Amino acid sequence: MQLIVNIIVLASIYALIACGYVLIYRVSRVLNLAHGELMMLGAYLVLATASLFNNHPALALGMAVLLSLVAGGLVYVFLMRKMTGEMVLAAILTTVALGILIKGVVVLIWSAQQQYPAQALGVPNPSLAIAGAHISLWSAVLVGVTALTYGALFVFLRFGRWGTRMRAAGQNPLLAAQRGINLHGVYALAWGLSTLTGAAAGILMALDSGITQAMPIIGLKAFPAALVGGLDSLAGALIGALIVAGAEVLLIYYVDPLLSDVVPFIVLIAMLIVRPWGLFGTREELDRV
Amino acid sequence: MIKILLLGAATACALAMPTTMPAAAQDAYVVGLTGALTGPPSSTYAPAVEGLRIYIDRVNAAGGVNGKKINLILEDDGAQPSKAAANAKKLVTQDKAVLLVNASLSSTYAPMIAESKNAGVPLLFASGVCPKSVYPPADPLQFCTTGYAANYDSQAALDFVKSQAKGPVKIGFSAMAIPLSRGEIDHAESLSKTMGMTPVDKEVIPPPTADYTPFATKLKDAGPTWVYSWAPWVTQVRTFEALRKLGWKDDMIAWAHLESEAELPRLKDDRFFVIGANALFQDNLPVHKEIAEAVKKAGSKYPPTMMTEGWIGGMAIEAALKAAGWPADAAKVRTAMESLKLDTKGLRGSPIEWTKDNHFRTKLDYRVYRWDSGKSAIAQVQDWKSYPVK
Repeated sequence: MQLIVNIIVLASIYALIACGYVLIYRVSRVLNLAHGELMMLGAYLVLATASLFNNHPALALGMAVLLSLVAGGLVYVFLMRKMTGEMVLAAILTTVALGILIKGVVVLIWSAQQQYPAQALGVPNPSLAIAGAHISLWSAVLVGVTALTYGALFVFLRFGRWGTRMRAAGQNPLLAAQRGINLHGVYALAWGLSTLTGAAAGILMALDSGITQAMPIIGLKAFPAALVGGLDSLAGALIGALIVAGAEVLLIYYVDPLLSDVVPFIVLIAMLIVRPWGLFGTREELDRV
Repeated sequence: MIKILLLGAATACALAMPTTMPAAAQDAYVVGLTGALTGPPSSTYAPAVEGLRIYIDRVNAAGGVNGKKINLILEDDGAQPSKAAANAKKLVTQDKAVLLVNASLSSTYAPMIAESKNAGVPLLFASGVCPKSVYPPADPLQFCTTGYAANYDSQAALDFVKSQAKGPVKIGFSAMAIPLSRGEIDHAESLSKTMGMTPVDKEVIPPPTADYTPFATKLKDAGPTWVYSWAPWVTQVRTFEALRKLGWKDDMIAWAHLESEAELPRLKDDRFFVIGANALFQDNLPVHKEIAEAVKKAGSKYPPTMMTEGWIGGMAIEAALKAAGWPADAAKVRTAMESLKLDTKGLRGSPIEWTKDNHFRTKLDYRVYRWDSGKSAIAQVQDWKSYPVK
């Protein structure tokens, strides 16, 4: 039972991070390689809001999430918008530079020290027992938030006005623009939502076990989950995360813990050989990648 | 497009610039440091580098060494071997450093040692684990002030476990997937058998790990009565916290890294022990007050409790340059380091003594601390215990 809980928690972490990659790629065809750093920035923002809203953890968390949404939008407005019409490679390289910049800025502001937002907010992280297995409170919250996020995104993209616009912009930006859709608005929203989901993952991981400078690498480890599922499919990201997390947890327990570092990439290579466009991705996306 | 690419290149160049610009080499002793100022393990190394920098700034403010300033050039390697190699090459060829300092992960050692050997410039490990090449018979160019050291630390930790255990010891191990941590835990595993303990599991955990629970689950299921970890702090503390979340209630001992003094009050766990070679600030020595004042004056983001390793490194650099005289070249500094005796003012159990064959120290001293719930404070569990270095 503990192994199942471990798989669900790890899959939730990967899925919540991976949906950020998918959202941006699906709408703007850009691989955001600064997603891990934006996730880390979200976690650090909690430290900032915690000092602003003493004794109001819910408010501090809400503000941090909101600021992440705004930060994502601003990244598009002030940086990625300039990439419109440029080669996709230039846009990807810009995200790499953005990642380096964020890593430097957080060290300058908050130092390289390991930080504990839960301590700053004064919130506990008790261990909960479920059917003989143990899960920490914030890990359980992360599982719930992941489910909620995917549910909300499904409803938003399927039935929401802006969600429909996002899908249209992703499928055919030229036609979408001709129909009066504000492409820059749609792209900014996609960047905002992507940063929000990544930040939510970063914040919840930080509440569970603290913030370290390794967070961007964890963000990168979730990338294979998105690719395995199909880079333009949210359902695919969810399934991909489950496959990668399942393989990782089971190999740690039954074979060798060292494999955990390479498992996501082994799964990815296997998928690229068998089905390069991913489990639920569309075949035409392959040419674009 | 070209404008954008140029802007990106300029940003990258700006980020890659050293944090301190070199002054004219002939006016000062040039000391070049490459360290993990950013990147996953930077929480252990960046504060130490800060402590070293504050110490050197203080020396310079007091007039320098032999009437000359120390020009400390800091380079960030992000704990990446390739960056450490490039930094070392730049420091010896461009900046003409007479002494190289490494404050990074063990994976950066090999390329840096190669650069040090090529240029004949001595290399000091200050806050990165001491490699065996500084033990007798030492490599002529390598020296180490860092408190933690392979083989001896595990001997001391397991001796402590044995002294505390009331019955047979089933011991589990946790390491980070980096060369020295793995090697030390392998050594500890073998050592535990010779000491009558039963090793039950060993988890080697990669540095970028989202969740430590899968590793802790395996460790807990093996049923250890003690767990020993010798790894960067993040691996030690996250393994422990994951074990506690899983309901494991036994004892763990880990290395007392710079973070430990701030972390013990956070964890508030009487059964989590830290063993180390540095006196914690709770011992309240006069030198601790000196460090705290200097850190406050410098306006550092790091607490003084994280400065000890860097402070000792700074003391060693000052002493070595003083003995080397002026003008000093790499050969003179190396010769001076070969007979250095450093009084650490109680930060260590005994002075750091280097000889021609021993660039480590002649004996090692360890203290053990834990959180004491009764007193709501950190408590010393074992006073200095010495181990001769052979």
